[in-house]
Amino acid sequence: MSVMHEFTKGLWQDLPPFRLVLGLCPTLAVTSSANNGLGMGAAVIFVLVLSNMLISMVRGIIPKKVRIACFIVIAASLVVAVELLMQAYAYPLYQQLGIFVPLIVVNCIILARAEAFAAKNGVAASVADGLGIGLGFTLSLTFLGSLREILGNGTWFGIPIMWEGFEPFRIMVQAPGAFICLGLILAGMNVINVWQARRKGLREPDPVGCSGCGCCSLDKKD
Amino acid sequence: MEIFQLFIAAIFVNNIVLAQYLGNCPYLGCSKEKSVALGMGGAVIFVIVVSTLCTWLMQRYVLAPYGLGYLQTIVFIVVIASLVQFVEMFLKKMVPPLYAALGIFLPLITTNCAVMGVAILVQREEYDLMTSLLYGLASGMGFTLALLLMAGIRERLDTCRLPKALAGTPIALIMAGLMSLAFMGFKGMAQ
Amino acid sequence: MGDILRMIVVLSALCGLSGFALSYLKMVTAPGIEEQVLTYVQGPAIHKVFTGLDNNPIADRKAFSLPDGREVRVFPARRGGLLVGVAIEDKGKGYGGAVGVMVGFNVADDTLAGIGTTDLKETPGLGMRIAEPAFTGQFIGKPLPVALKAQGGGIDAVSGATISSAGAVTAVNNAAAVYKALKAEILKTWGK
Repeated sequence: MSVMHEFTKGLWQDLPPFRLVLGLCPTLAVTSSANNGLGMGAAVIFVLVLSNMLISMVRGIIPKKVRIACFIVIAASLVVAVELLMQAYAYPLYQQLGIFVPLIVVNCIILARAEAFAAKNGVAASVADGLGIGLGFTLSLTFLGSLREILGNGTWFGIPIMWEGFEPFRIMVQAPGAFICLGLILAGMNVINVWQARRKGLREPDPVGCSGCGCCSLDKKD
Repeated sequence: MEIFQLFIAAIFVNNIVLAQYLGNCPYLGCSKEKSVALGMGGAVIFVIVVSTLCTWLMQRYVLAPYGLGYLQTIVFIVVIASLVQFVEMFLKKMVPPLYAALGIFLPLITTNCAVMGVAILVQREEYDLMTSLLYGLASGMGFTLALLLMAGIRERLDTCRLPKALAGTPIALIMAGLMSLAFMGFKGMAQ
Repeated sequence: MGDILRMIVVLSALCGLSGFALSYLKMVTAPGIEEQVLTYVQGPAIHKVFTGLDNNPIADRKAFSLPDGREVRVFPARRGGLLVGVAIEDKGKGYGGAVGVMVGFNVADDTLAGIGTTDLKETPGLGMRIAEPAFTGQFIGKPLPVALKAQGGGIDAVSGATISSAGAVTAVNNAAAVYKALKAEILKTWGK
């Protein structure tokens, strides 16, 4: 029951990056096509599930003071493993994603889940958490990638799907399109949140923001 | 002349935030006030240059000669993380005024992908040491520029009436998109 | 004291374990990575040079050693069961680093079958244009060695990108030297 809950919360309640605004750089950078979004998501699932599992396994023997260093070493080793596997079995994807494969290591999702969840919970729950969050991230990236690819290129997973004579908005597959799309999706998320809360008669929730990740604890100090 | 071109290219044409999608978390998180943006920018410039120096030397004299190129990611992140710690301690003891200005930003920088991104990019482009350092400096300046512009706009936005759904991060992202659109106008000036 | 000892032990055990696991993984994936890199980086260049082949030059490649001890990969190209040419990759110094060129040779008359670039970090819009057919097409059918017009040869440099063009020419001539040194051995291995 609770394991199931840890899994499903990543799919909606804590859906990254749309509700839990984490890991924006890869979200923006690799979603110029649905395929790239899916590939990036798969790599993140691999790293996140294994890092959550390993960290929750060794959480008892890691001294408090060096725990962040240990998390970084574990995550970085897994990222190197992903790099090697991707080069050996999916080289075109590796070329497409470029430096964002090694940069998974500084993706705040990995460290945030390690610190906030895996370091405090059992192995099964941690794996479920990693799987749920990772899957949510993959679906979000694929969704954003599909949107941008369809509008900006007229294709979906490389297959033309728009009507004859459709003029693609080239800007959607370039940097400005990434920012604007994500901004509008987050705004849409806010609308849905408010609507849901009203229906259930709860008070209006805070708007989604990037205060969820510890990166910018500055916000809280101010 | 070439150095000038490199600078123009790294600051405007291939701006690290607006064209290369690096360092977006602090770009959105630390752009609420100009003073905070300036401090963060200064810290990023400083750390990017120092970490580019260290990782470049590491790659050239340790990883490449022993065929350990595949360990690049893990070595770079460990070097950057320990470097940031060390810089923090050093500044606290030796240069208190600088620590007072940049200190609180330093711990946040380890997970700033702009730093790691520049370290990896200069390796992929096979720049020599001097070019790498200049590229790092210029990228840091590009980051600071984007952050400052954003902070300026957001300070004004605070006094505007916005649709509720757009307030906060969504409008910041949309503005980043418009800014990125504007920066695309620099294309063709330098490569 | 015990705390510090424990920190050091845990951290070094972790690093040791991950280093060990990764070097093992590296060993396991190395052949796969080589295959993929050849297919996606060198492969397209070879197929641009030789069209309508009935073998897979990547799968049939063979490493030959030169008299100076260097190992080079040679990719054979067959049509109708006969060896029509070989492709050899070499590098020359360009403007933004090494210029990698895949060079195809016709074995019948020792002329160039064509060239395709594999590794370019030149200036976009200038040096990068040496990858375009307007430049690479000039090499087709040329006897060895080649030279730029400025040096009395027959190759037009891309305007504004003399250094990159010269880099490509150097790469072609380097590959030609390798081809000359290995020709006898190549014919012996793959026959006529």
